[in-house]
Amino acid sequence: MSEPETTPSGAAPVPAAPGAPLVVASGLTKHFRLGSRETLVALDDVSLEIRRGETFGLVGESGSGKSTVSRALLGLLPLDAGSVRFDGLEVTRLKGGELRRLRKRMQMVFQDPFAALNRRQSVAQIVAAPLEAHGIGDRASRAARVEEMLDLVGLGPAYRERRPREMSGGQCQRVAIARALALDPELVVLDESVSALDVSIQAQVLNLLGELQQRLGLTYLFISHDLAVVRYMASTVAVMQRGRIVERGSREQLFRSAEHEYTRQLMSAIPAVDPTVERARRRSARTEAGVSSGG
Amino acid sequence: MASPASLSLAGRFGGRRRRVPRHGSGTTIVAIAVLAAIVLLCLIGPLFAKDPGVLDNANRFAGPSASSWFGTDQLGRDLFARMVAGGRISLGIAAGATVVSMLLGALWGFTAALARGFLDELLMRLADVTMAIPQLLFALVFVAAFGANTAGLALIVGVLLTPVTARMIRSAVLTELQSDYTQAAVAYGASRWRLVLREILPNVSAPLGVQASINAANAIILEAALSFVGLGVQPPDASWGTLLQQGYQKIYQSTSGVIIPALAIFLTIWMLNLLADQLGGTDDVRGRTG
Amino acid sequence: MTTDTVLDVRDLRVAFGDMEPVRGISFRLRRGERLGLVGESGSGKSLTALAIMRLARRAQLSGEVLLEGEDLLTLKPRQMEKVRGGRVAMVYQDPMSALNPVYTVGKQLVEAIQLHRRLDRRAARERAIELLDDVGVPHPQRRVEQYPHEFSGGMRQRVMIAMAMCADPTVLICDEPTTALDVTTQARIMDLLDRLVEEHDTAVVLITHDLGVAAGFCDTVQVMYGGRIVERAEAEALYRASLHPYSEALLGAAVDLNLELGVPIPTIGGSPPLAGSLPSGCSFHPRCAWAQDRCRTEVPLLREVAGRLVECHRADERAAAVKEETHVGA
Repeated sequence: MSEPETTPSGAAPVPAAPGAPLVVASGLTKHFRLGSRETLVALDDVSLEIRRGETFGLVGESGSGKSTVSRALLGLLPLDAGSVRFDGLEVTRLKGGELRRLRKRMQMVFQDPFAALNRRQSVAQIVAAPLEAHGIGDRASRAARVEEMLDLVGLGPAYRERRPREMSGGQCQRVAIARALALDPELVVLDESVSALDVSIQAQVLNLLGELQQRLGLTYLFISHDLAVVRYMASTVAVMQRGRIVERGSREQLFRSAEHEYTRQLMSAIPAVDPTVERARRRSARTEAGVSSGG
Repeated sequence: MASPASLSLAGRFGGRRRRVPRHGSGTTIVAIAVLAAIVLLCLIGPLFAKDPGVLDNANRFAGPSASSWFGTDQLGRDLFARMVAGGRISLGIAAGATVVSMLLGALWGFTAALARGFLDELLMRLADVTMAIPQLLFALVFVAAFGANTAGLALIVGVLLTPVTARMIRSAVLTELQSDYTQAAVAYGASRWRLVLREILPNVSAPLGVQASINAANAIILEAALSFVGLGVQPPDASWGTLLQQGYQKIYQSTSGVIIPALAIFLTIWMLNLLADQLGGTDDVRGRTG
Repeated sequence: MTTDTVLDVRDLRVAFGDMEPVRGISFRLRRGERLGLVGESGSGKSLTALAIMRLARRAQLSGEVLLEGEDLLTLKPRQMEKVRGGRVAMVYQDPMSALNPVYTVGKQLVEAIQLHRRLDRRAARERAIELLDDVGVPHPQRRVEQYPHEFSGGMRQRVMIAMAMCADPTVLICDEPTTALDVTTQARIMDLLDRLVEEHDTAVVLITHDLGVAAGFCDTVQVMYGGRIVERAEAEALYRASLHPYSEALLGAAVDLNLELGVPIPTIGGSPPLAGSLPSGCSFHPRCAWAQDRCRTEVPLLREVAGRLVECHRADERAAAVKEETHVGA
């Protein structure tokens, strides 16, 4: 994508200062009340910092709170406590129109590619929707932008009039990515965005995401339960368990010498795609753990 | 957690259950055709039929004949003419009531679903309370307040149907709000209006269509019931309900006087229910592949 | 057919009207053997399992499915009911929805037990507790009275496995048994399956899209694409060097902790075909780097090459190339 004079949002392009913190979250806390007595602690004093241009990986199993973090960062979820600063702006204190305007700068790609697209709309309508919502351009310029976005994600113009149900999971996810990029955001949150895709398609989409990050200078928050994928994508990784971050570090640090018990558990549970390696690994894991039970 | 395996099913059939008409498209055509015929007849009938008000004491309780297709009533009035005139009123009230109930219900339901929390609770408890009041009692109060003209009746019946409609719309909207695409819309910065009109509304059109058909059917029954007990349309106007009541009083002299209005009501409601079935569709066409 | 072949599937086809998602699958399973059925969406792997269990409603099945010599496809529904859950059992993907939420776990287990064994309720209940203990559910006497929602995902899957194993089946079919579970739980469940099938000498068909899981568990692996088996080999041989271009691509695209960083993941373009719109000739040819004219028109047949079964016109060439590489590397 060529360098525009202004981004679609009309603002001057953000001066690229890679390495400076783009998102600073501190003390995020969120409780959900279940029934009259029980509370579910979704987030417990979570703090993290995402630097411009990097991919920050957030790993956790179900119930760890990682999806809650993503929604909190985007202002989609009210917090009980904590602050989220995006490029210096306090997200938790923005309301209505201001928050909506900020959304141009941070977008999200969801897990289920079919559910994330309006099944009553065509691809062109879906990708143009963010532009319409913010009143950007006119019909012609929006159509041009849609074409540009589809090209960026590797979908030809033939896809313009397709409906979600006529496409595969991988194609739908590309449309979701195109939609997320339409507003030229700085931050893209990828919430389990490849978890529901077939192996070969997952690889395609991961490659696409890497390419897009280089071309467009994007910052990613990559959320997944799959530690192996996070290792491939992220340079900084944080591990979550039951609403807390239990360990964080650079990719090298974490994968070479993880300190926390849980992180090591996670790593040892990932199957290797090689029978000899895998069987040896499991044999040793089993003798370590004794007779397996629980879980 | 979605997986490639589960999504292969979803992808095959559109991400959720596909709506398959329960009876087949032939039924839809028949239902629409019959309804259209009834409506048409009631619209243009009065133009070529006899004057329903003309009395003819020499010809009371006549059976169907060439000159008088449905026969005559206790005052010699042509029953066909009365039926099409009555149909205008009954169907008109039903249509009005449907519009009122759908508009109010949508407002109520959407607001509750989008507001959640206290406002939602308040609105839904209000609906519960309204539904707990006996309909005829409700109608009595409204008739006393607004009078029993056609417009007033359409309003009354519409209001009676609103709480159920609101509930159903709220439920449909809540379902959509759980889907990622609505979250995605909020995430890309859609305003509330855009969310409702451009994203959610097209996706609830099927349940809305069903509810409208059901409301129309219920409106006809309600109006007929009200008119039957004298709370509805007042003389000299006569809806099908009134005709039903008058025919019923003279049932020993002429059965056609009660059967014909009854059949008309029955047929209309039946066709509307068939339409509702078709619009809703229920079969879960989840095949297995992958 | 050797005497210890417990499952012999011959030219199994599953069709829904015009579509044929499974187009002639044949394989044999020996007692205690673990076969992995690996593939992506649309490969037909789940449907194969359902067809063997005759759980695919509205499907037209053809071919033969010989369980210890008896063709399951010719059985009457009543007879099949006795076999299903008894001699051939299945573990499903989603433990959340496979258990009935309104009955206790014990009740469901007892029901499964009594369907296949002549035991009175008390004996069946004791057997149920035994089974729960065997699959690693702690405090089985207490938990047998609990409802599914009181169990975690991993525990529910253990219950499902207990139900499947309760009649000591000859063949156990597992359809993505760990996909819906967390990775730590997944490892434990696979260990459990490992131990149980070892103890009971059960033959297993493991259906999965996860190549790592298949690598750790299976003796033999079958790769499916477009409703057919494109390669079958012993696990080690397959993972070391696959002959079919699709198997190679699939293995290359799998992400594990050893994946090379900083370079694009080796993968192929396009997506797996849907049953309704299969390409002509070899269904993989549009995505295949080795495709020739012949591949567009002629459907390749499964044949033996270099000690394994492959369905590719150019399998011999590929086998030779692999040999070259290993010789050069040696």
